[in-house]
Amino acid sequence: MGQAIREAGARVERGVDRGVVGVAGVVLAAAVGRPVVEGLLDRPAVGNWATLFVALVLQALPFLVLGIGISAGVATLLPAGFLPRLLPRRRGLAVPAAAAAGMALPGCECGSVPIARRMVGQGVPPAAALAFMLAAPAVNPVVLVATAVAFPGRPAVVLARLVASLLAATVVGLVWSRWGDHQVAPMPTPERSRFLATAQHDLIDTGGFLVIGAAIAATLQTAVPRTVIDSIADHGAVAVLALAGLAVVMAICSEADAFVAASLTQFSLAARLTFLVVGPMVDVKLVAMQAGTFGPRFAARFAPLTLIVAVGTSAAVGWWLL
Amino acid sequence: MTAARGAISVVVGTVLLRLALTGVYQRYLRVGMRPWLVITGIVVVVLGIAAVLRPDDDEGDDHEHDHHGSGRLGWLLLAPIAVLLLVAPPSLGSFAVDRANAVDIRAGKTTFDPLPAGEHDLTLLELSQRAVDHDGASLEGATVRLTGFVAATGRPFRLARYQIACCAADAAPIVVRIAGAHGDPPERDQWVTITGTYRPGSAEGDHFPIVDATSITEIPPPEDPYE
Repeated sequence: MGQAIREAGARVERGVDRGVVGVAGVVLAAAVGRPVVEGLLDRPAVGNWATLFVALVLQALPFLVLGIGISAGVATLLPAGFLPRLLPRRRGLAVPAAAAAGMALPGCECGSVPIARRMVGQGVPPAAALAFMLAAPAVNPVVLVATAVAFPGRPAVVLARLVASLLAATVVGLVWSRWGDHQVAPMPTPERSRFLATAQHDLIDTGGFLVIGAAIAATLQTAVPRTVIDSIADHGAVAVLALAGLAVVMAICSEADAFVAASLTQFSLAARLTFLVVGPMVDVKLVAMQAGTFGPRFAARFAPLTLIVAVGTSAAVGWWLL
Repeated sequence: MTAARGAISVVVGTVLLRLALTGVYQRYLRVGMRPWLVITGIVVVVLGIAAVLRPDDDEGDDHEHDHHGSGRLGWLLLAPIAVLLLVAPPSLGSFAVDRANAVDIRAGKTTFDPLPAGEHDLTLLELSQRAVDHDGASLEGATVRLTGFVAATGRPFRLARYQIACCAADAAPIVVRIAGAHGDPPERDQWVTITGTYRPGSAEGDHFPIVDATSITEIPPPEDPYE
């Protein structure tokens, strides 16, 4: 026992590099500098930004940790090749099956990114893993129930959200399997002994991108009043595009977006459906996390593709069902 | 680098736990999130301690870094922590009231039974919904107590409070106009509890309902600033 502690102590000493000193320095500087910066907060815009930024990060962290836990569990507990065998062999079936499997993951979009990355590492075709990543935040029971609560007496909205999200995820997956597969770098599956290290990497690396995304979203929300889009609520197609843009900019949790959509009463239901379909798939916070997980080049292609497909499918489904 | 990651985790997890246990998290998230924040905080702290005690071999580290060079971005996780330590931002205030989409008062078209005589604590949402239900018939003869912050000064001044579904980023304001105040009206962003009666007909035509106040008390911001 004593020896183990000594060994750990020795490891700590070896591990205490400039990084740890840096972390301590940042924390100390923040604590000491507090009075200086407090004055800044009296400026309403700065205070508003800081509140939104902190809220976005805090709200995402539990879901991120849940996703990382599942991801690390998949990496260490499931035998290699287990997940791919669960999916149909034919890619045309595997992609929609993976999208539908998203119904089993309660949570929001921040958790599904590390899970999708791990699925690719386990040998799941990237197209199927990406379809899962896009569908899961929008079609799981928690989000669908929240949608039903936000739109009382309008079950068609819940159905339309489910159908449009599954459809969009499947179409993006199939398009990607045809033209984009090679652009997803498969993650190496870590050895079992490295469970903690895996989770650690996932948390800090994905978390860093989450922070970038949250900062961008807080800035846009503070700088651009949401009411700006009110003036174009009556212009059919423009209104749809406006709410797609709002979903990208606001970057709110898929468990909460139905309540925001419900408050956008000046917009048609079809336009609000676009908001509900686009938000869990493409927003500034999510794109930052995807860039961090799969690489910036991936995100630069994947995000625009997803946005176009999501707007298209929700417009079609909205026209059909709503 | 791994030890530094671990240190970041410990700092982040500790701040999460502190926010959850002191209740300050309610400025940013809805109330039910406390257990999830506690669990998350514990997991993150444990992960961090494990990483500090058992730093990875460098080989493994480089292996992951090669893909996207994202190892250094973990530093950014410290930014919100630094902001929290520096300023502990307040809950959303009057700045965003006119910039956000208001709550849809008429959603669900609730019908209310009349309030019994006496004083009643109402949320701004319930008052607004009662005001548009049969021209506020259910509020007749009742005295209401409302708590919110001053969103705009003047006479009548505006009292507001946000509804949140998940976090402050999805906040939607509800606004009530307060008339009948004597003396200097409270300052913008000051939290107040007002007692008064609903002025019938004031919510017609999508106007914010008016409450004629008999008393206005300035209060510190409540622990849970949202409805």
